[in-house]
Formats: sequence, C-alpha cells, structure tokens
Amino acid sequence: MTPLIYSTLIISLGIGTTLTFASTHWYLAWMGIEINTLAIIPLMTQSHSPRATEATTKYFFAQATASATLLFAATSNAFFTGSWDILQTNNPLTYTLMTLALAMKIGLAPLHSWMPEVMQGLTLLTGLILSTWQKLAPFCLIYQIQPHSPNLFMALGLLSIVAGGWGGFNQVQLRKILAYSSIAHLGWMVLILSFSPPLTLVAFSTYLMMTFSLFYSFMMTKTTHINSLSTSWAKIPTLTALTPLILLSLGGLPPLTGFLPKWMILQELTKQDLALVAVLAALFSLFSLYFYLRLSYAMTLTMPPNNPAGTLPWRLNPSHNTLPP
Amino acid sequence: RLIQMSLPNISRVPASRLLRSVRDLRWLLRSIAPLAVPRRALTQMGYRRPGQPREDKPPWWRVKFDLSKGLKGMKRHFQLLKEEFFAEFVGPMGKPIIEHMLEQNQVVWEFRGPHSLQEWTISCDREIGGKSEIYLKIGKNNETCLLYGTLCSDPPKDGETRYSGYCTMRAKQPLASFDRKKYHDWSSFNTLHLRIRGDGRPWMINIIAETYYTHQKDDMYSYFLYTRGGPYWQDVKIPFSKFFLAHRGRVQDDQHRLWLDKINAIGFTLGDKADGPFQLEIDFIGVCKDYAHTEDFAYEKYKRNPEV
Repeated sequence: MTPLIYSTLIISLGIGTTLTFASTHWYLAWMGIEINTLAIIPLMTQSHSPRATEATTKYFFAQATASATLLFAATSNAFFTGSWDILQTNNPLTYTLMTLALAMKIGLAPLHSWMPEVMQGLTLLTGLILSTWQKLAPFCLIYQIQPHSPNLFMALGLLSIVAGGWGGFNQVQLRKILAYSSIAHLGWMVLILSFSPPLTLVAFSTYLMMTFSLFYSFMMTKTTHINSLSTSWAKIPTLTALTPLILLSLGGLPPLTGFLPKWMILQELTKQDLALVAVLAALFSLFSLYFYLRLSYAMTLTMPPNNPAGTLPWRLNPSHNTLPP
Repeated sequence: RLIQMSLPNISRVPASRLLRSVRDLRWLLRSIAPLAVPRRALTQMGYRRPGQPREDKPPWWRVKFDLSKGLKGMKRHFQLLKEEFFAEFVGPMGKPIIEHMLEQNQVVWEFRGPHSLQEWTISCDREIGGKSEIYLKIGKNNETCLLYGTLCSDPPKDGETRYSGYCTMRAKQPLASFDRKKYHDWSSFNTLHLRIRGDGRPWMINIIAETYYTHQKDDMYSYFLYTRGGPYWQDVKIPFSKFFLAHRGRVQDDQHRLWLDKINAIGFTLGDKADGPFQLEIDFIGVCKDYAHTEDFAYEKYKRNPEV
C-alpha cells in the first residue's frame, strides 16, 4: 500500500472517531462510525490472503448490520420524540434497538460471534486497531444514551463476561484469545454503565492500555500461537518476563492495575444491592483468568523443545530496546 | 406469461388450444428451448458417478424412511456431541494443553485396517468419460494402503474434452456431531511428513484448506511428490511453506502462504501423461514441527499492478 493511501486511511480512522465524539446529531455520529468502518476495511485486506478477505467480509457484514439498525433506531427515535439529539433517546424501543446495535458494533455477547473469526484473520497490528480504536466511537455513543433501566446493560454485561471467559477457554490461537478477552472486558464495562458511567471510563481506559501493551508484546515477539509464545524467551527475555504482568493485569489480579476497575465495579454493584450480579461477574471472570494464567505459564514457566540455533536470537538482534541498559 | 414467438420456435409450440391445458409453465418453456442444450430430467438431481445405474425415481421415492436407522443415527450423533462436550474439559481439541505445546509430530492418517479406507475417496477420469482405473486397498498385514490402477491419457470422445488422464485419492472432510464440518488444526506444525513407497512416478500433493466464498471452493495448495520406486520406503518431508496456491489446477498469480489452522483434506493426484499401471503405497501421513525451518513462504509475491 502506498504511503499516501495508508496515511489517508489512518487519518480517516481518526476523523471518523473524532466526528462521533464531537457530534450531538445522530446522523453525524453514525457517519463517523461508518467512516471508521470503511477506513479499516482496506487495512484489513492488505495481505490479500483468503483468511484476511474472509475476516474483512465478516467484519463488514456485522458492522453494516449494526449501522443499519443504529440508523433505523435513530430515525425511529426522531420520529417518536421529534429530536435527533443523542442525549434525547427517550423511547424505550429505540433505546433498546440502539443499545443492541452498538453492542453488535463493539462485540458484546450475544452479538459477539463475529469477533474471534475476524481477529483470527487479521495481522496483529490491525487486530490492535480493531480492539482498541474501533471501540471508541460506539462506546462514546453507548455512554451518552440515557438508560431507562439497567437490566439490558446488566444482561449484556453478564453474558459477555460468560461468553468471553467460556469462549477463550480452549483456544490456542492468541488472536482469538485476545478477542474473547476483549468481549469479557467490554462486559465488565457495560455492566456498571447504568450505575456509574465514570467507572466504565476507568475500566475502558485501563483495558485500552493493557490490550495495547499485550498486542504490542505479541507483535514484537511475532507470536500468534501459544507454542510460539513459549519460545519467545529466546527472542526478547525481558519482554518475556514483563508480559505475564500484563496478562495477570488483564486477569484482574491485585496489585496490578487491572484489578482496580474490577474492584470498583464490584463495590459499586454491591452498593446498588446487586451482590448476586457482582458474585456472578467475579466468578465468571475466573474463566478468563484461567486462560491468562495459561498464557503466562506457557510463556515463562515452560521450556519447550528448541534447537540450539533457536535459543540465540536475543543475542543477535540489537534493534529491540527492551533489554536493560 | 407471454412467450416470445420466433420462427424457429413456432414449430415446437403446441397447438394453441392445448396451451390452455398447460398448467406447468416450466414444461412449456422447456419444450420450446433449443434442442442442443442438454436437458436433465427432474429426477436426475445431483451428481451421478459414471457406472452407477441411473435412477429415474422422484426424489421422495429415493429416501428410505426407516425409523430404526434414524434412531441409530440420532444416538450416534448425540454420543459424538457428548464426547465433544467432555473433550473440551480435557483441553483444546480434546488434548491437554501441555500436549499441544510439546508435540512435535502428529500422525494424521494411518492405514491400520479396512476402516481406514472409509476416510478416503478415490476418483479418476472415468468420471468424465476417460479410461483410467484406480483402486484402493489395504496393504499386507493391515499396515499400509495401496493405491493402484492404470492411467490412460486418451481423451473421452465427446468433442469437448481435449486432455485426460488423471487419478486421485483424497481424504474426506472430518465431520463432527450432526455432520458439522471439522477442521484439522496444524498451526503447531510446519512440515508434512509422509512415508510412502512409489514406482517412480511424480505425484502432486494437494492440501485443501477451508475457504469462505463459493468461487474459492476449488482452491488448493499443491506441491510435488517425487517417488523413487524400489523396495525401500521413502520418508518425504515437505514444509508447508513450499505449497503454492492453485485453482482448478491452474497456478495463481496472487500467491500466499497456506494457513494451517483450518485444513479440510489432503489429496494425491497423478497426471503425468505416462500411460500404464501405477502403484503408491502409503504407510502414514503426518505433520511435524521442524524448528530449523523458519521460512514463511517459499515464493516471491509479485504485485500484478505495481503502483507508480
């Protein structure tokens, strides 16, 4: 891809999200989301392999369906309430439709099935953009919709935590694991949205930081499978020592950062007399912790079969700056 | 319902008073179609292998309604579903994770009895009217399989086909419960390992990966298998990076590496234009991980429309 086209697409990605952030009219917000979708499509098909085109097609179908539903909901809302303002979503039907459309956009259960297959077909960099940047615009809209009752968000949240944990249980492909991890984390964020939106932002920002770090670690070690993860110690030893911290942080273990949003969310749910929901969320996130621990174990606590030449890359590659000075 | 009348068609249109009695428009339209277009009877649905008797029964007559067979089928499928469910508690694809991480070799197909032949399909150009023959049987001591037959390059005399002479053996797609497609996941491995004994003929190994679009259904990744003949067994190790993409036998310009996480089947094809008998004995087909092989893809990918 020429640098000009590449930079056009990247700038379009930025413009789309910024447009959605800056808009109060549903049309403009929808337009921003569409620009985002259309800008990432060529980035996804850069490699022209059939798996990449399959992933792109599935992504496009899911996003187009969600966009159409969102536009329909926004138009219906304007019909019922007379207002195109994002903050004026008073009709329960349109509010539900909008929520479901945005849930499909970001990959919340039960509308999450496109996510692992799409992530599996992409490069790690495009997967990173999909998991982080592409979530910003829909999340901004979800944040602004005034919930009538917390039930829908709680149901979506709990289902996502279960689906994200259970789905990633037996995966060996790292990109699919990251997709399920994303679904589970989005579940946590959406669970608390109707009670304490700032907590959702805290959870989202910590999720962005952790996911970015993890994706970048995998990009540096060029690993996409749990087996190649186990030989990453020979490529960049320091990164291999630090990546489990990121993984356990994603799993929500104290005293790492990832524990903070989970703790605060559980505390807020308990304050709202939803102790059962809090217990269920905590229990189901143990599934996710299981596969994070498995990745950490594979990376640091195993010595897989390797040939002598395969144990030396860290000596020969001076371009990685993660070695201590 | 107006039918366009043209001079060549008028002679085939029934008399007008009969038109009123025609209820099925399809029948009428078919009768005025040009006769050169080969027509199929309504009952000839699907593919019929040459040599099998024609069945002129309507589709509902061909299905054998048998309650005991249905119940056995349901029991088998539910049993498979239960096994799949509990296998997930063991680990990915029913194996513990430590096995996934440590395994360097995996035998995918081996021939240890007549039941192994159920996983394979054989075919030759007899299906298009050629004269080749192919047979598959279990070798001596139930240890190997023997693929043998006769290759004949004489094209069928149908006025259309110009070339002929191929014989092939292909694995069937693995199926999960309720006949869902299952895939081989060879992403932990990077080399195909075969133990074969041939007669010196060059074969083509084809790997069929899962695709998405219908126009990709004939995509396969091929490489050559040169057999050396003789009584000695041959261990062939072909890295997956060597496989190139072909569609219906034509090598594609836009090449990419074979993705190993969803493999449907493997096949062997003989089409070396050397008429005569052939034999190929296969002990096992497996995959292995060669840590010394770090190549991603063996061929350069040329851009067909380079940007200026």
